[in-house]
Amino acid sequence: MLNEPELTSRRRPHLVRTEPSIVAENENLASGANLFRNRLLDRIRDRSMTQQANDPTLERLMQAAQTGDARAYECLLSDVIPRLRRMIQSQRRFLGPAEIEDILQDVLISMHSVRATYDPQRPFMPWLLAIARNRLADGGRKWARRAANEVLVDEVPVTFADDRANSEQERQFDSEGLRKAMSDLPPRQREAVEMLKLREMSLNEAAAESGMSVGSLKVAVHRGIAALRKALVKDQ
Amino acid sequence: MNTATQKVMGRLIDTLTPVKRLPSPSLRAAAWLALGIPYVALVVLVMSPRSNLAAKLSDAHFMIEQIAALITGLTAAVAAFATIIPGYDRRIAWLPFAPLAVWLASLGEGCLQILTADGFRNFASDWFCLPAIILVGTVPAVTMAVMLRRGAPLTPKITTALGGLAAAGLGNFGLRLFHPQDSSLMVLVWQMGSVLLLTLLCGMAGRLLLRWRLMNSNDRAA
Repeated sequence: MLNEPELTSRRRPHLVRTEPSIVAENENLASGANLFRNRLLDRIRDRSMTQQANDPTLERLMQAAQTGDARAYECLLSDVIPRLRRMIQSQRRFLGPAEIEDILQDVLISMHSVRATYDPQRPFMPWLLAIARNRLADGGRKWARRAANEVLVDEVPVTFADDRANSEQERQFDSEGLRKAMSDLPPRQREAVEMLKLREMSLNEAAAESGMSVGSLKVAVHRGIAALRKALVKDQ
Repeated sequence: MNTATQKVMGRLIDTLTPVKRLPSPSLRAAAWLALGIPYVALVVLVMSPRSNLAAKLSDAHFMIEQIAALITGLTAAVAAFATIIPGYDRRIAWLPFAPLAVWLASLGEGCLQILTADGFRNFASDWFCLPAIILVGTVPAVTMAVMLRRGAPLTPKITTALGGLAAAGLGNFGLRLFHPQDSSLMVLVWQMGSVLLLTLLCGMAGRLLLRWRLMNSNDRAA
């Protein structure tokens, strides 16, 4: 989907070759008219969104949210999220649903971080749309950077085809040897390695579950990893 | 609703705390000036005011330039504080250009008189101006940066350039109270040049100083 504009631009020279002047001129006119129409539609949609939302409830909800009222904030977010999603979708038609949700989340987090700047005497929607437009522009720049610097591939090669390279990889990921080395670890070290390295828990979560202190968890995981390394190197 | 967006929404609601609403840009600019003026007065006292200050206070040309410098600083501060409030008309960024034009016109007129009379004969280097403006403008600039970081970085470069202009304008206002340099040509090149250079540098530092304070990915996912 991301490659579509590129494909279109690659096909264009072929069309130009068949009927150079007329096709190119028509294309330019058509794309110019489309661009103008889209911008006009976006502007009308933007304005109607602001007018629809000129409902004092949003102002009151935001004012309450500024005082720490979580219930009002929840109502406010539930109300604005669909509107913001529609706005982002209409202005970034070339983005996929996941990217639209990413931008939407950025807008929500940005709004949250600058909620102190909202003045209840002023309408809420222009305030929110100013943040949304800014984050959309940032998102567009990020997308353009990514499109310019990243190459999309269907499948990332897992390893090299060369046998020597594979033998090195396989030796490092000898799962049977690792399982045996894990079972030989003292219980506390095994528990620490399992929680912090295999289940990827945070130190605080692991401390809460195991009853060990954060300090002893750090020591146990350090000793456990050292013991595993020693055991695996010895096996090789 | 998308699950990730729902999680973010939940996280935002969970981390909601009461916030102190930002006062209006003009009130914030007044507060900034109220903090900056005593510091400028202190620097002028420490550096010892120029000997002919009393006489200069009755000089119309000097007073126009000083008032224009002060109003440029104040309006630049108002504009800087307005650009960090979402929903404000961005044309407010042009606000300091009117007093700046008066300031430049007053200096320009003096320059023309000097150039037609003596040419560049009285022109010399005066490197004292740049560090002196920085010295007088430091506290106002730091205060401005701290105050700007509480807002939304919608136009970081423009905002910091306006903040820099405010601090440098105030710095120049203070400088002329202890630095006995009144030749319009010298003031235009060295003092106004320093003000514009500092404004430019502050504008370039915009994206470093002002960024969205967003949650990290762990916070989002939590």
